[in-house]
Amino acid sequence: MSFADVLVTAFGQIAANKLRSFFTLLGIIVSVTFLVAVLAIIEGMNAYVQESVADAMIGSNTFQVRRSPINVARFADSDMDRMARRPIISRDDAAAVQAAIPDAEAVSMQSGWPTPMADIIWRDRTIGDAQIFGVTASYQVVQDYRIGQGRGLSELDVEQRRSVVVLGSELADKLFEGADPIDKVVRILGEQFTVIGVNASKGKVLGQSFDGFVLMPITRFELVYGKRSTTTVSIKMARAEDVAPGMARVEEALRVARHLRPSEENNFSLETSDALVDFWRTLTRVLFAIVPAIVSIGIVVGGIVIMNIMLMAVTERTHEIGIRKAMGATARDIERQFLVESIALACCGGVIGAFTGWLMAAGVATASPLPARVTTWSVVLALALGAGVGVIFGVYPARRAARLDPITAMRAE
Amino acid sequence: MSEILGVGSDLTTTGEHPMSTTAERKAVVQEPGATPGKEWVIVTRGLKREYDMGGEVVRALRGVDLAIRRNEYVAIMGPSGSGKSTLMNLIGCLDTPNGGEYWLNGMLVSTMSDDALARVRNKEIGFVFQTFNLLPRATALHNVELPLVYAGISSDERKRRAKAALASVQLDNRMHHRPNELSGGQRQRVAIARALVNEPSILLADEPTGNLDSATSTEIMKVFEQLASGGQTVIMVTHEPDIAAHARRVVVLRDGLVATDDRRAAFKAQMGLA
Repeated sequence: MSFADVLVTAFGQIAANKLRSFFTLLGIIVSVTFLVAVLAIIEGMNAYVQESVADAMIGSNTFQVRRSPINVARFADSDMDRMARRPIISRDDAAAVQAAIPDAEAVSMQSGWPTPMADIIWRDRTIGDAQIFGVTASYQVVQDYRIGQGRGLSELDVEQRRSVVVLGSELADKLFEGADPIDKVVRILGEQFTVIGVNASKGKVLGQSFDGFVLMPITRFELVYGKRSTTTVSIKMARAEDVAPGMARVEEALRVARHLRPSEENNFSLETSDALVDFWRTLTRVLFAIVPAIVSIGIVVGGIVIMNIMLMAVTERTHEIGIRKAMGATARDIERQFLVESIALACCGGVIGAFTGWLMAAGVATASPLPARVTTWSVVLALALGAGVGVIFGVYPARRAARLDPITAMRAE
Repeated sequence: MSEILGVGSDLTTTGEHPMSTTAERKAVVQEPGATPGKEWVIVTRGLKREYDMGGEVVRALRGVDLAIRRNEYVAIMGPSGSGKSTLMNLIGCLDTPNGGEYWLNGMLVSTMSDDALARVRNKEIGFVFQTFNLLPRATALHNVELPLVYAGISSDERKRRAKAALASVQLDNRMHHRPNELSGGQRQRVAIARALVNEPSILLADEPTGNLDSATSTEIMKVFEQLASGGQTVIMVTHEPDIAAHARRVVVLRDGLVATDDRRAAFKAQMGLA
C-alpha cells in the first residue's frame, strides 16, 4: 500500500467524522493555542522592549555610567556586596566623562532608579504620584525631549539650584486644565517650584504614559531627596557606531579619574540599552520555560483522548479491518493506516491550534497595549508536538488493530 | 475483462473442462511432503484444525485429504458443524492448520507466517462472502480496487482494472454507488468483481447465495457458471444441496472428514435431485 493511499484513507476517516475529530482534538487545540498565543505575546513584548522601551528609558545611541549594572539577576551575592561598596557616581565623574569624549552629543546626569513619586499641588488641585526626576540640562537632549511651551531646564538652573520644574504634558494638562502653566507656582513636598516649561507629549509605552513626570535641576533634587546612590551619567553619541568606542574611552577616563590600578576591576558599570533588554529577557526566560511545561500537561491529556478515540475506531472498524486483511492487507499495512490516521489527527489539532493561537495573539495585540509576535519556532514546536502526540498515542491502538485475527474481525459487525 | 469471464471462449463447452479422477486425486494426496504437480491448485494431506473452547478441545477438521485441479468447479457441502467453514478458512489462508499439509499452487502454505499468508490471499485467492463484506463507506469502484491497493498497484492502473472488472459483471453504470445504494445481487456482483480483479488462482465463495432471494441466487449462480466455463477455478462452500449441485464436483464433509467426493451426477442421484 503506497503512502499516498495511506494518507488519503486517513484523511477520509477524519473527514467522515468531523465533529468527533474536532472534539477529540479539543485538548490539543486548546494547549497549542495557549502555547502559540503566550509565546507570541512574550516574544512580542521582548521585541517591544528592545525596540521601544529600552530606547525610551535610556535613549537612542546612548550609554550610561552607573554605580551598579542594570541586569543584577546574573550576579551572585558576593558580587552584590562588592558592588555595594562602589563609590556613588558624582559630578566629578560626569566632568571626567565630559572631558574624555568632547565629541559626545550630550552628557547628562540624572537621578536613578527608583524614581521618587510625589504629589504635586497647584491651588486646590492635587495630582498624586508624579514621577520626580532630578536632571542636568543636557538630559533633555539625551532623552530627545521637545519643549511644548515655555523653556527647558538650563545649565544655570542646575548651577544655581533654582526651584524650577519642567512638567510632562499629561501632568500639566491634568493640573492646569487649560490654564497657561508657565510661571505658575506649584508645591512639591511642601516646597514651591515655578513651572518654566511643559514638554511635548512622548506618547505611551505599553499603555503607560511617559508624560507624567516632573523634571527639576538635579542640584535642587538633591536638596529635597539627598544624594542618591543610583545617580547615573548618560552619554548620547551622534551615531550608533560611536557608542562602543565612546564606552572604551569613558571606561579608560573613569579608571584614571578614580585611580584604579590595572589589577583592580572597574568600580562602575557601563551599560547600553542592550542591558535593559537583557534584564527583561532574564525575566521572561522563566516564562518561556514554564509555559511549555504547562502546555505539555494539556498535550498529554489531549494525547490520551486521541488514544481513546483511536481504540474506539479500531473496535468500530473491526469488520473493515477483517475485510482488508482478507483482501491481502498485512499487519504492517493495518498498523500504518491507523498510525498515520492518529498522526494526521493530532497534526490537524496542531495546525488548528497554531492558527487560533495566532488569531488570539492578534486579538490581544489589537485589544490591549500588549504587543504580540507569532514566531516561526513556536508554530514549528506546535506542529512537532502534534505529530509527536500522534505517534506516541497512536502506536498502541494501531498495534491492536494490526494484531486482529481476520476471521474473528470479519465476524464482528 | 474477457480473460476473466471467458467471454470470447466458447460458453457452450460447459462441463467439458477436465475434471480430476478419483484415482488421480488419491495418488497426489498419498505422497506426504511431495510437491504436487502444476495441474493441482489445491492439495491438502491430513489437514487438522482443533480449537480450544475454554478447556475443551473441539476437533473441527480431523484429517482432510483434498485435491483440486486447475479449472475445476467444486462445491464443498456439509451440515453445520461438519467443518466446512473451518476448511474454507484454511483454504482461504485466513487460518493456519494444527496438522497436515496444505499446498496452494505448488506452495506449502500451512507453515507460512501471517504476512506471507496475507500476500498469498492478495495474489492467489478471490473471496466471495455470504454477507458480501464490502466496505460500507467506499464506492463500488473503490471496493473493487481494494485488493490492488494492497498489491501496490498504481492508482491509474487500479482504476482501469477495477472498471474493467465491474464491467465484466455488468455494473459499469453503478461504479460510484456505495453498497447501501445497491441491491443484494448487485452487491454480490461487486464482491465477485473484487474477487476477480487480482486474477486469482481460485475463486473461493462462502455461501454466496445465502443472503439472496431465489431469483437473484440463480443470477449469481449463472455468473459462477460462466466463470467456471471460462477456466476459473471455483470453490464454493454451501450447505444447500441445490446450490452445490451447480458445481461439477461435490465434496461432502461430515464430522471433520471428507464423506463423499464425486461428480455432480452421482451427488444428484444420491440427493434425489432432478
